[in-house]
Amino acid sequence: MNKRYARFLSALFCSSLALVFAANALTPDKEFSQVENRTLAQRPKLTWGDLAPKNLLEDKGAFYTGSFMADYERYTTDQFPGRDGWVAAKAWSERLMGKRENNGIYFCDDATLISRFDEPDWAKVDKNLGYVEKFAQSAGVPVYFGLIPTQAYAWKDKLPAGAPNADQKGVADRAGTAMPSVKLAQSLWTTLPGHAGEDIFYRTDHHWTSLGAYYGYTALMTDLGMADEIIPLENYTKTTVSDEFYGTLFSTSGVRWVKPDEMDTYVPETENITVVSKTYDAKGNPVDEPRQLYDESYLEKKDKYSMFLGGQQSLGVVKIAGNEGKPKLLLIRDSYSDSLVPFLTPHFSEIHLVDLRYNKQSTREYIAKNGIDLAVVLYSVPNFVSDSNLVWLGK
Amino acid sequence: MVFSTLFFIFTYFPIVLALHYLCPVKWRNGLLLVVNLIFYGWKKPAYIFIMFASIGIDYVHGLLVEKAKSQGNDRRARRYVVQSVVFNLALLGFFKYWDFIARSLAGLGLGFMPVLGLELPVGISFYTFQTMSYTIDVYRGDAKAQRSIVNFGTFVTLFPQLIAGPILKYKDLADQIDERDYPVERFAAGVQIFTVGLAKKVLLANNIGALWEVYKAMPAASLTTAGAWLGVVAFAFQLYFDFSGYSDMAVGLGNMLGFEFTGNFNYPYTARSITDFWRRWHISLSSWFRDYLYFPLGGSRVGKGRLVFNLLVVWAATGIWHGANWNFLLWGLYYGILLVGEKLLWGEGLKKLPAPVQHGYTLLIVLVGWALFAIEDFAALGPYLSAMFGFAAGGLWNGAVGYYLRSYGVVLVLAALASTPLGAKSWEKLPQKGKAVALPLLMLFALALATAYLVDGTYNPFLYFQF
Repeated sequence: MNKRYARFLSALFCSSLALVFAANALTPDKEFSQVENRTLAQRPKLTWGDLAPKNLLEDKGAFYTGSFMADYERYTTDQFPGRDGWVAAKAWSERLMGKRENNGIYFCDDATLISRFDEPDWAKVDKNLGYVEKFAQSAGVPVYFGLIPTQAYAWKDKLPAGAPNADQKGVADRAGTAMPSVKLAQSLWTTLPGHAGEDIFYRTDHHWTSLGAYYGYTALMTDLGMADEIIPLENYTKTTVSDEFYGTLFSTSGVRWVKPDEMDTYVPETENITVVSKTYDAKGNPVDEPRQLYDESYLEKKDKYSMFLGGQQSLGVVKIAGNEGKPKLLLIRDSYSDSLVPFLTPHFSEIHLVDLRYNKQSTREYIAKNGIDLAVVLYSVPNFVSDSNLVWLGK
Repeated sequence: MVFSTLFFIFTYFPIVLALHYLCPVKWRNGLLLVVNLIFYGWKKPAYIFIMFASIGIDYVHGLLVEKAKSQGNDRRARRYVVQSVVFNLALLGFFKYWDFIARSLAGLGLGFMPVLGLELPVGISFYTFQTMSYTIDVYRGDAKAQRSIVNFGTFVTLFPQLIAGPILKYKDLADQIDERDYPVERFAAGVQIFTVGLAKKVLLANNIGALWEVYKAMPAASLTTAGAWLGVVAFAFQLYFDFSGYSDMAVGLGNMLGFEFTGNFNYPYTARSITDFWRRWHISLSSWFRDYLYFPLGGSRVGKGRLVFNLLVVWAATGIWHGANWNFLLWGLYYGILLVGEKLLWGEGLKKLPAPVQHGYTLLIVLVGWALFAIEDFAALGPYLSAMFGFAAGGLWNGAVGYYLRSYGVVLVLAALASTPLGAKSWEKLPQKGKAVALPLLMLFALALATAYLVDGTYNPFLYFQF
């Protein structure tokens, strides 16, 4: 290598580093990543107090424990210039090298992404089933329990050949033996796979589509003994509200080569349905935040699935005028229920939605206070086996 | 701090490089000492004090040894060497082996030592060995004692090789520490070696390491024979490309700062015997043990019984150096016994066999060795080894093995090719002009791809925290 060439190569390397260094310093930090649908790490702060010798002796503070430095590295990675492009480049590279998954998401046939389901922690499953059973024993109303199989179960034919996939049905079967006081809603396990040929799940999101939720509704109604009330799908008109939905699996997988999903609704939003989210203002006073079955403002955002009932809430109450005399339903739920609720509205006078992640009040007392007639605990399998909040049901 | 992070590559190192070349030559060691300490204390600043103690004690001992020698007092010089070695081993012993000993004794019902749960100071196994080499080299007259504590501190803490080697002996580095030049050719060579190392670590090791994680975590009931082999092959590649990638990055970074370090690996998986393998794997560690333990014990110019003893001592030490756990001791002794066998029994016969047999023999032993090395839990080791040898609860083969072979096939082939000198040889055969064009393009491509994998880095382990 002659001197000139060595100079060129060294300069090229150094300027690449300098370029990224400068871009790092100059590009403004982002609070939130639309593509990844998560808040990004911000520049950590160090105070003089952290440096105090007292902290050194006690091994405390952001500096001496090294947490500041770890946060800083995370911040560098999260705010890396052109982050989305790098993430996509990695997913592409993995695909070209023959990988059929990235970050735990399988690349499947028909431009479909499916979240990998691994053998659950059975001790945790048993614990969670136990909490539901305990709740049923003292709830004072009939308690139904349903698990929603996800793509990895209903669409297992689409998975790459030989792809490891733990059996979700095993969790539902376990529920069958562990919960004498609970009425099991098992029809989901035949209904959903029975319609596997239809678009019952999004291809880029982990949720079921409105169509999938409709079949879920027919299964649930059957198990609730209300099969004769089921409204045929033909009675509804499908409305496509968006054809550019990229969901969570799109975000996590880094996959950028699949086409977006279509979002549909079936049940029309009418005047006699009111949705209220029970929340608190900044001072801690209870407030009723009005919501809708479909909040179309979310269609302008990345997180389009939150259109259903306006997304996360600790406690939501749906009241249907004109249904007085019909039962009041309490739904202990995850986000799958958000697109299910519209189908349930013709059959109940009130639907109360509890998210145990945010709502730690006694469910038993809530049932008594609000004249609830029946409770349904409804989770998707992956959410149920990893949930750490079901313990609040027992209170 | 770890090299294979975006923060190191695009924040810490550019700053260090800029300061280094802005700084007048005579103050560069001082600057290096400061940035070395920042690098070292990054995870736990308090441990910088251990470093100060280590530097101070060995610096003083070096001078004392030299003074005693110049006064012709060999006994006193020896005493100082012993003091320094005892200090270094005590430091290492306390941080690395205390809990292991405490737990092992408690297992025997002798629970008088409390388990401390101290975080291991990063790189302690590497730098205590370097500082030990210093006083010994001074005693042997292989190097002069370092007068400047700044220069000595720079040697001990030199960030490119501080936390994962290569283990530099003082005698090899003494001249460069005092004075070195900065030819641009060396810088350019460093740029290349660093990029190769980064690619090895981020693109090959991390990638294939994810496959080993799958098999490591697999319950014995689902293990298949093919899967167990696939897993251990993945680990073999992960460790080699992680470690040699790290060494390459160290050599490259050293070059860019004006140093010349020797390499640490020489295509170990092409070895034709276990003896040959250990001449090619982690060379700086084997040669350290050779110079400072094997030779002082008498080396191989001793009777057969003593030779066996010497080899087993050296290999027990090598094993336990790799981690404070029984499996590492077992792994070291496994190699000790095999090396004794090659030296005294079948080594000569092996050489007469066809080359593929020699390679097969070596790789088989090395792969079984990696299973001993990688699985620290004896309850899991037994089933894993039996699975490898055909007694797998999941049978010989299942669909998952096919899936993983398809998923990792390309990476496995690339890794296998990169484990041989084939790539380097074909590169040499390219016309000069072609190389000149391809080199910068390859470099930028590797740098960019490694960056992409680091930005979306879900799996980027640092394997040497236990060392």
